[in-house]
Amino acid sequence: MSGFRATRLAALAAQIDAIQTGGRADVGVLPFGDARIDACLPGEGLPLGRWHEITGAGLEAETSAAPAAFAALTASPLARKGEAVWVMRRDDLWAPGLAGLGFPPERLIQVCARDEAETLAVMEDALATVGVTAVFGEVEAVDLTAGRRLQLACEKRGATGFVIKRRPFGGTAKAEAAGSVSATRWRIASAPSEPPLGEFGLGSPRFRVTLERCRGGRLGEWILEADRAYSWEAADVAHPLRLVADLGDRELAPASERRAA
Amino acid sequence: MRRLSAVSAEAAKLGLYVGQKATDAMALVPELTTAEAEPEADAVALTALVDWCVRFSPAVAADRPDGLFLDISGVAHLFGGEAELMADFRDRLAANGLTFRLALADTPGAAWALAHFGRDGTIAPPNGQAELMAPLPPAALRLEPEAAAQIERLGLRRLGQLMDIPRAPLGRRFGAHTLDRLDQALGRSAEALTFRRPPTPWMARLAFFEPISAPEDMARVTEDVTAKLCARLEAEGHGGRRFEIAFHRVDGKALSLAVGLSLAGRDARRIARLFQPKLETVDPGFGVESVTIAAYAVEPVGGRQIRIDARLNAAVEDGLAPLVDRLANRLGPTAIWRAAPAESHVPELAVSRDPALGAPETEARPWDREAPRPVRLFQRPEPLEQVVALMPDDPPVQFRWRGRLHRVRRAEGPERIGEEWWKADIGDVSVVHVRDYYRVEDAEGGRFWLFRAGLYNGGEPARWWLHGLFA
Repeated sequence: MSGFRATRLAALAAQIDAIQTGGRADVGVLPFGDARIDACLPGEGLPLGRWHEITGAGLEAETSAAPAAFAALTASPLARKGEAVWVMRRDDLWAPGLAGLGFPPERLIQVCARDEAETLAVMEDALATVGVTAVFGEVEAVDLTAGRRLQLACEKRGATGFVIKRRPFGGTAKAEAAGSVSATRWRIASAPSEPPLGEFGLGSPRFRVTLERCRGGRLGEWILEADRAYSWEAADVAHPLRLVADLGDRELAPASERRAA
Repeated sequence: MRRLSAVSAEAAKLGLYVGQKATDAMALVPELTTAEAEPEADAVALTALVDWCVRFSPAVAADRPDGLFLDISGVAHLFGGEAELMADFRDRLAANGLTFRLALADTPGAAWALAHFGRDGTIAPPNGQAELMAPLPPAALRLEPEAAAQIERLGLRRLGQLMDIPRAPLGRRFGAHTLDRLDQALGRSAEALTFRRPPTPWMARLAFFEPISAPEDMARVTEDVTAKLCARLEAEGHGGRRFEIAFHRVDGKALSLAVGLSLAGRDARRIARLFQPKLETVDPGFGVESVTIAAYAVEPVGGRQIRIDARLNAAVEDGLAPLVDRLANRLGPTAIWRAAPAESHVPELAVSRDPALGAPETEARPWDREAPRPVRLFQRPEPLEQVVALMPDDPPVQFRWRGRLHRVRRAEGPERIGEEWWKADIGDVSVVHVRDYYRVEDAEGGRFWLFRAGLYNGGEPARWWLHGLFA
């Protein structure tokens, strides 16, 4: 009798689980591989099967080079497992640059949409497609309804969405939508690089990464470096971003510490 | 001088003929009504008629100025047979108020001969054109009038006599052209017709008792006719990459829609769904009485097993192919692509846009991952102002771009990228097109790809451009 009750309870618990997760299996997380970042994120890594917002600071809100590179770097382990789709309105994304960062350009389908609504519709369509693991979209703003729809599309197949906020050139900033259903929101700025001692030129690309919003997690600010960029090993690392400095206290870390890390 | 270019049946009975002087004709028949000949309008009308004929067969060729060929191989059964097809054709042409003569034969040449000189409505049995053509005059061979007249002057008034002459003397005496025409008519040599659209044997058709016009009916018949064609494709193990559906209206106009697939397919529901958003652009007018669909670029497609576990190892034709098709048909085929390496040193030429699916394996070398390249590349480099460089070959120490001054903290370069002189004429090659690229970082960490156009030239100030942005 008790054995029967136990199985019955387990079955009910599983049912409740299924209702809570909306019928989808847990698709897991993508860890950054550094405890100082992963500890802030629910489940110790970037939640998959959700969508993430990536914004640029300052001039990057229009040019969107660092946010796009950060999205591509973060998603490159996903892109190697399936197909990726990048939806944009200005087709200035350049595949050789992505290849240098270790993102597999042969796995990327680029789509040029005509307006904001179409970009979101294409993203939704791509997210719900079998075999697509990551979908990037460059849009100005995502309102609550559009965000919900994106979330539903993500849940269908467990694909992960990256919404890169980008203003048209010369456009004025739109008012930020009040609420958002994105899993996380990141603000990305490029940070000055540090070439190895005794070398001239530029070092590996560095980003100042702020986790501005995170459901079920904590916020933080870090300096990350794509230390294998522009080398042949770029595609061979587990996660292409390496933590250089933890700015979690919002105070600039001293330069010496940054170099030691 | 004005001449008659066409005469009606009644006029012909009164003894008028084509080529007669207009004044002579007026003298013979004072109450003659004439209209100006309009060859251009005739040509346009013939083209419209050719388009209209697609309801009978996808392979229609205009035979200017006043005829057309309809290749009905493989479509006659859709109408119940050759005789029924011809009867239907006759009714519909007559309903449009046209005068015409019809003939059906194995070869275009024989059909032309029978239509112009034989009995109207002749249907030559397979391989039976020689007997039917024997009593016709030599002009039935589509020869130049002078050549036909020459043959007749020599006493050969029937094609039968011409056929009896051994080939070699016939060719010698009347020229290779006459021999060719005879061979083409008798099916001894093939004739290439210029079809209005590429012929396809993959075609399906639905006709309705009552003309339809409601949007839901249009959607349903689209599905039905697609399913009909796809069932045939499925049975023969083929798939098409382009589908064209045509709605034939009661008033004789045909409206067509086309969709393309990235991989050859025959999934009727998927194809019908691609047509769905375009259906609203079809104006049914007073009603649509029949609908035809044709598949183009048909190729063999392997059958595939329905998988037990669809979640594992998703196949391309399950998810990606329908997605790419939906997007390509909605946004246009150029709006979706996969970047592939192209062999060029010039940055803007280093990327070729391949189709998202089914692109041939590229032979170009992959991009050099060790050369730092920007993630954003401007299609047109943007000019920089207030550029200060200490030495002519030094990277700039500051520049102004889009109204903002950037102070350079670190720089790398130059990387000299020259023009592809081997592709141009030697006279056009000049050092003006040389670009020296620098990778620079400003104080805030922004990384830019700049270049100086041309070589250092003492007198002129150097021109600087921004070409891309790094991560």
